[in-house]
Amino acid sequence: MDMSQYRGLFLSETREHINNLNQLVVTLEQKPGNRETIDALFREAHSIKGMAATMGFDRTAQLSHHLEDLLDGFRDSGEVPSSTVDYLLAGIDLLDGLLDDLQSNQSERSIDVFLAETPHGKPTQIAETPVDNQGECSLAAAIEEEPEASTVVVEANVFQVLVDLAEDTPAAAARGILILRELEKSGVLMSSKPDLSTLRSGAPCQQIHAWLRTSLNWMHIEEALLRISGVVKVRFIDDRRKQEGGDRDEGTHTIRVRTDLLDQFVNLTGELITNRYLLNTATTGRDWDQLTQTLSQTSRLIEDLYHHVLQARLMPLENITGRLPRIVRDLSRKTGKKVTLHLTGGEVGIDRAILEEVTAPLVHLVRNAVDHGIEKEGTVAVSALREKDLVLIEVADNGKGMDPEPLRQKAVDRGLLTSLQATALSDRDALMLVCQPGFSTAEEITEISGRGVGMDVVKAAVSKLGGTLEIISSPGQGSRFQMRLPLSIAIIKILLVSCAGQPLAMPISRVQRTLDLPTSEIRNSGQKRVFRLGEEVVKLYSLAEALGLPEVVAGETTWVVLIEIQGRRVGLQVDRFLGQREAFVKCLGFPLNLLTGLSGATVEGNGQVVFIIDPQSLIEDGQLFTNDCPGEFDALS
Amino acid sequence: MALRVMVVDDALFMRNMLKDIFVNAGFEVVAEADNGEMALGLYQETRPDLVTMDIVMPKKSGIEALQEIMASDPDACVVMVSALGQDSLVLEAVEAGAKDFIVKPFKQDNVLEIVRRITG
Repeated sequence: MDMSQYRGLFLSETREHINNLNQLVVTLEQKPGNRETIDALFREAHSIKGMAATMGFDRTAQLSHHLEDLLDGFRDSGEVPSSTVDYLLAGIDLLDGLLDDLQSNQSERSIDVFLAETPHGKPTQIAETPVDNQGECSLAAAIEEEPEASTVVVEANVFQVLVDLAEDTPAAAARGILILRELEKSGVLMSSKPDLSTLRSGAPCQQIHAWLRTSLNWMHIEEALLRISGVVKVRFIDDRRKQEGGDRDEGTHTIRVRTDLLDQFVNLTGELITNRYLLNTATTGRDWDQLTQTLSQTSRLIEDLYHHVLQARLMPLENITGRLPRIVRDLSRKTGKKVTLHLTGGEVGIDRAILEEVTAPLVHLVRNAVDHGIEKEGTVAVSALREKDLVLIEVADNGKGMDPEPLRQKAVDRGLLTSLQATALSDRDALMLVCQPGFSTAEEITEISGRGVGMDVVKAAVSKLGGTLEIISSPGQGSRFQMRLPLSIAIIKILLVSCAGQPLAMPISRVQRTLDLPTSEIRNSGQKRVFRLGEEVVKLYSLAEALGLPEVVAGETTWVVLIEIQGRRVGLQVDRFLGQREAFVKCLGFPLNLLTGLSGATVEGNGQVVFIIDPQSLIEDGQLFTNDCPGEFDALS
Repeated sequence: MALRVMVVDDALFMRNMLKDIFVNAGFEVVAEADNGEMALGLYQETRPDLVTMDIVMPKKSGIEALQEIMASDPDACVVMVSALGQDSLVLEAVEAGAKDFIVKPFKQDNVLEIVRRITG
């Protein structure tokens, strides 16, 4: 029997079991004598063992058997000694590592050291477990347990991985080679800067920039990289080139879709086919009433289909919040703080692409809350809730809160703002300063939240998804970090504008508002143009200039799109507004994807391709944006 | 079963220091050698899980010993121990299959971190 067809299912299901194991152990640590938890742990380990043995993954089977044995002993005694908790967690981590190996088609790593460390000194064997009919039965049973589930194939991701080395790393080139080797273990290393031959020549190396195709979770890769001596920071950027696809066999993973949803797809597709014939008949017979009616029916069907596809892509948030109890537990240990974690809204569904992208920011916010928010003892609450077509994910702590005043001061010290600007900044905007690159609230970057992503990366990740980040905090009142994310990224609302006579689009989520200003209200301040918006002085940029298109001179009215860049409002001048609509975003292929400021394209009803611009990166990368604007206030007062 | 380690260094001081680090961490030091040639013989005899190998040693250098060990056992887990400023030698060793390297002066945690990483 060809077992490889079950591989994807085995991997995704085992990951779920591992997630459950982690949660259960943390629960157990709080209630060591809870019989139900011990039983549940035993069952989880047992399930993994059965599946792994059937697949012929000996070490995974052996390790889960070992854990199962250990837990069985506790079933008899009715209690898990607290000294064993760390051992159990180490075992679960090792299982996770074995799964990483299997996922990247590597041979399973050694488990001997772990087995040797067993509290009872009793290494176990499973070599005699038959991988025969009996095993196949157990797998079949495992599949039948989820009769409502089917498997859908999803592509692997290409990540850009940035690995920073400490400045004084000795033999950095050799270190670089070890980093490339570690990356090769996690997937297909497509290219790197510097590449292997450059490193071999002993070239200096402070940072490795690698393109990696992998189906592993970035967290596992990050963890492995951070264990390498000299590595101080690891960042991941999801790469658009994943569209080019490739090695499906290695890069696929599976998600489960309810069969009733699949049935719905078939039904809807059937109805669409019928509608196509109706449209044919109506066109041939020039029956305009029939045509109009069928067209409106078709658009209802398409909307319905879209809704169902979205449903299939929605995954409950607990897929990522499930790992938080373990993370918080480990952090509490490390920091010596007593932190309670509250999770609510784990059942809220969100597009799986967004879910993957939001994992890193969420984990970072939780780490931050424990590390910087909570002082000695406190609560971190992670909640999710659906707000119309948005999902709100909030990380709240009841710790010391954030004071906007020192943040203003720091921004002035760093030369990011003039003292006048800092004073004019609202408290809300001052808090958002922590999202500036390199702006850290902690005096010292601690090991915990100083690693991996910073708040700037959290903000960037959320914006990239078309979402927003908001910080609500005041001294002594705790902090709340709110991420508002769209349900889907493929279909977004866009604002259509005309610029130098060409239609262009921008995601509505990036737009604060639109204005039609009397041109006379625009003043010149040195090289720049500014206008007043209430109490605020807002800088005005020309979209045409940013794109290198010919300028169109505004008439009596200037059309302005108001956006936010680095926490400050700026205006973007366009020819005129063309309206709003929903758009299906297509990613740009090479070489268009290299152009700054373009995030994709969509096709108009008349077949015209309209580029979707990312106004923030257009202005920032074009270096049109500067924070220093001396004299602005004088010019207007 | 504890992790079985062989320590190779021509300086008794370094050997003793590394031995203490490993023993304190619960590993078993199964062999020690003060030159590359001796290391080769002891490796075949004891087949340790891990070798720490000094680079500059009399008779046979750490790199030569590493190359021969890797030729006889491609799965060998060898960590080089070098002084500061030996970048090109370290590079050569990594190319030859060393799993990682430790630069003197080192700290106990640093050594154990590296060892735990590569022995998984």
